[in-house]
Amino acid sequence: MRLRSCGFENELAQALKDGHWPEGCGSELRAHVNACGNCSDLVLVTQTFQQARNESEQAAACGPPSLLWWRAQLRRRNASAERVSRPITIAELFALFVYVFVGVVLVATQYRHGLRWASWWSELAPSRAFHLWPLASGQADWNLLLLISGFGVLALLSGLVVYLASEKS
Amino acid sequence: MRKHDTTGEYAIPNVEARALSRPDELPMDSDAFAGFYQRSAPSLRAYLVRVSGNSALADDLTQESYLRFLCATCPEGGEVNYRRYLFRIATNLLRDHWRRPKTACIEDVPEQFLAARDGLSRIDSQAALDPAMARMRPRERQLLWLAHAEGYSHQEISEITGLSTAGIRLLLFRARRKIARLLRKQIGADRRRA
Repeated sequence: MRLRSCGFENELAQALKDGHWPEGCGSELRAHVNACGNCSDLVLVTQTFQQARNESEQAAACGPPSLLWWRAQLRRRNASAERVSRPITIAELFALFVYVFVGVVLVATQYRHGLRWASWWSELAPSRAFHLWPLASGQADWNLLLLISGFGVLALLSGLVVYLASEKS
Repeated sequence: MRKHDTTGEYAIPNVEARALSRPDELPMDSDAFAGFYQRSAPSLRAYLVRVSGNSALADDLTQESYLRFLCATCPEGGEVNYRRYLFRIATNLLRDHWRRPKTACIEDVPEQFLAARDGLSRIDSQAALDPAMARMRPRERQLLWLAHAEGYSHQEISEITGLSTAGIRLLLFRARRKIARLLRKQIGADRRRA
């Protein structure tokens, strides 16, 4: 199908849009519409659609705007709350990841040591990290507690750093 | 760009949006919105009913269009641009609806259900228009309604639908010819029956 433009098309479209067709148009244009297939299509389609639009608008029963207004406010508030809580969620997820990672490392280390808690701690405590701690040498439970607490604080601080960084961004 | 656009999943990023001073600030106050709603809602709903062929869906999409309009950063330029932006939101919502995994696609709806079920089918012009519209493709229905019922120019339709102006010109020409043939056929059949 080839697109053929008619010289009267713009004039006719404007007359239809303004409601001037057919009374407000000259006899030349009316005679042309009778002879031109494109223009008669334009008249038929535009008039049918305009009539359908008017009828549809008169029959339309739309809901109250106040309800939409209220729902929009609610949606915007929810979106704002979600935006605010997103950094917290990210930080929580990161902290959870660190906790899980620490747990896995701990279990893996224990497995490598043959699950001999007491002997491992008695070897570790006086040797490296805790040799300055006066209570560490004889109390393996305290060392374990300190280690876990250290990892916990590290995870919390990591979460806090991520939270502050994402909030700033 | 896309993540800030709330006009739909397949939003067209070609309308410049005004950044609001506060992110939770609505684009207009409630009285202004009520007036705008009263003036624009009937024509938006008519567009959605005619293009979708489903009154219930049109009601849902009308409401969702206004909600997204109120939650979005609207273009500058007053009510004319607001109205065009609203039609763009509705068009994108319709497109999202059609692209979603099917519950009921417009192409599969039987012809008798395509007549708008809002008490209008008794009116003569619609008696001819409804069956003709049912035989048009959704894109053709959109273009025809925007051009001939809403009176939008090719440029404005391009902004609403995201199609190129040249493409719209060609599609509209074909669609108009097709629906004119269907309308004449329908009117002729009605006259013979009468």
